[in-house]
Amino acid sequence: MTSQIIILAEHEEGTLREISFELLGLAHRIAATQNWDEKRISAALLGQGTHKLADELTKRGASEVLYVDNEVFANYTSDGYRSALVELLIAENPQLVLIGATPNGWDVAPLIAAQLDVPLATGCMDVSFENGRAIFTRKAFNGKFVHRVAVVNAQPLIATIDKGSSSPFDSSTSGNVRHVELAIKPNKLRSRFVEVKTASSGALDLTQANIIVSGGRGIGAPEKLGVIRELADALGAQVGASRAVTDAGWLPHEHQIGSSGVTVSPMLYIACGISGAIQHIVGMKNSNYIVAINKDPDAPIFDVADIGVVGDLFDYVPALSKAIKEAKD
Amino acid sequence: MKGLVLVKQVPDTNSVFRVNSKGTWIDESNLSYTLNDYDRYGLEEALKLKDNGNLTEVIVLTVGPANTSPILRNCLAMGADRAIHIKDDVLDGCDPLSLAKVIKAALKDENLSIVLAGLQAEGDNHMQIGGLVAGLLDWPFASAAMSISLQDNDFIRVERELDNNQLQVVDLQLPAVVTVQTGINTPRYASLKGIMAAKKKPLSIQSLSDLGLDPDVVGSQAARLTSLSLAPPTKGNAAEILAGSPDKVAQDLLERIRKQTGLM
Repeated sequence: MTSQIIILAEHEEGTLREISFELLGLAHRIAATQNWDEKRISAALLGQGTHKLADELTKRGASEVLYVDNEVFANYTSDGYRSALVELLIAENPQLVLIGATPNGWDVAPLIAAQLDVPLATGCMDVSFENGRAIFTRKAFNGKFVHRVAVVNAQPLIATIDKGSSSPFDSSTSGNVRHVELAIKPNKLRSRFVEVKTASSGALDLTQANIIVSGGRGIGAPEKLGVIRELADALGAQVGASRAVTDAGWLPHEHQIGSSGVTVSPMLYIACGISGAIQHIVGMKNSNYIVAINKDPDAPIFDVADIGVVGDLFDYVPALSKAIKEAKD
Repeated sequence: MKGLVLVKQVPDTNSVFRVNSKGTWIDESNLSYTLNDYDRYGLEEALKLKDNGNLTEVIVLTVGPANTSPILRNCLAMGADRAIHIKDDVLDGCDPLSLAKVIKAALKDENLSIVLAGLQAEGDNHMQIGGLVAGLLDWPFASAAMSISLQDNDFIRVERELDNNQLQVVDLQLPAVVTVQTGINTPRYASLKGIMAAKKKPLSIQSLSDLGLDPDVVGSQAARLTSLSLAPPTKGNAAEILAGSPDKVAQDLLERIRKQTGLM
């Protein structure tokens, strides 16, 4: 009996989400370093009429797809996924289960862990093994620290894996699809899908902006947003924000950049008073040129910025606005 | 209908954090503590349900050391009706699953309709207690709520935050567990009257033996997930840092921006 890894494939509107391939990439890396059989890397796919996706997974890293085709899985529900995955994992008894640290992943993962009575490692970037212990590398304090946790006496080991922390599996494979029948009925579900809708329908479209000036918690108060607006005006830029600013109601939700807001990649991104929680970073890290102004020299934003200024944004941002205006004249 | 909110005290996020001498976690001496921000939104959501007549009682529950009681008084001052503090030295260092088992034991006889919790705790960012409690109770669950409304006595409607500005609307059969995202509401401040009233509200302190739990099963000695190390991230591709007076730095920045982006 060799060690089996099962990843949870995620999909929406007939397309597999990238995290599915990242999890397969990580699974192959773990199998290679642990000398586990790469033929024992399986993907669990719950869907309705999504056979094409099952085939795609076999070509992109899954040696076997455990495919449950049931009307219950026309949409994600925590109750449907929980009951199916608990049943699958009890039957398969894998060594390791990898789930995306995504809204649906962090929804269902703790339900499964509780019902299987095993610990859950969340928001992980890497998995390794030392002296028979599983070591999960994750972040704590909003990315300020790298946190390593050890898990013992658990089968399966279950972890949620951050988006973008592993490269997608990039070789082609050939695997098989195994249909799994589960006795699960829509009318038995205690969480029922209603709809998916857009959170805000403002006119602002930051995804098309060429330059973005963003403010974060360091702004301190809504009346102080003027310095951000002034710099944006000088540059002909749009105003973005971190979650702290939109949660506090200083700017509407449509300005929010990050995992729960919009993802942007402008030519120039200037982050003012933003520490750089992972949720913000994922929404702006692909910007062409990133400037960060923050008083905390250890702020994670400086890890993704091209150039940084450690200091009070209320000193440096107005000076930059002034310099730009003078340069234009 | 009764509701319960899981709350936790966390170090003030504005603190300067240092790693402890063992290198396993932050040095917890000389830190000031506060109510986890996510939980503040969770409590406000429960209090709103009570204001609307949906809930008759709001209970807050925490697991933590002796110095945790100020946050419970704070929750009572905001409007919670009573508080439960589970306090036992053997829980210091227990893992999230054990913590969830303790919470389950503490709330199983409360005849609750809904349990609310913050999506995650600032600090450890484990993001799992609410889901673990739901899993152990085998109750329906939804995470990262941006809206909660009672449909009737059997169902609540939750809008869950997804990626890319999307929300999933889902109905949960009661009793249910829901974790809330920040920004779901505007948490109230405790009024002076509330602070006075909180002093007379019930706050019960319970130990593991009160809950009929075995320290050898849920205590820190039995933890299957333990903290090995905590360290600042390695600065691989850290930014070049400009220094100098604001005007000097502004000129340098302008030059770099022009060169790197072709703008202006």
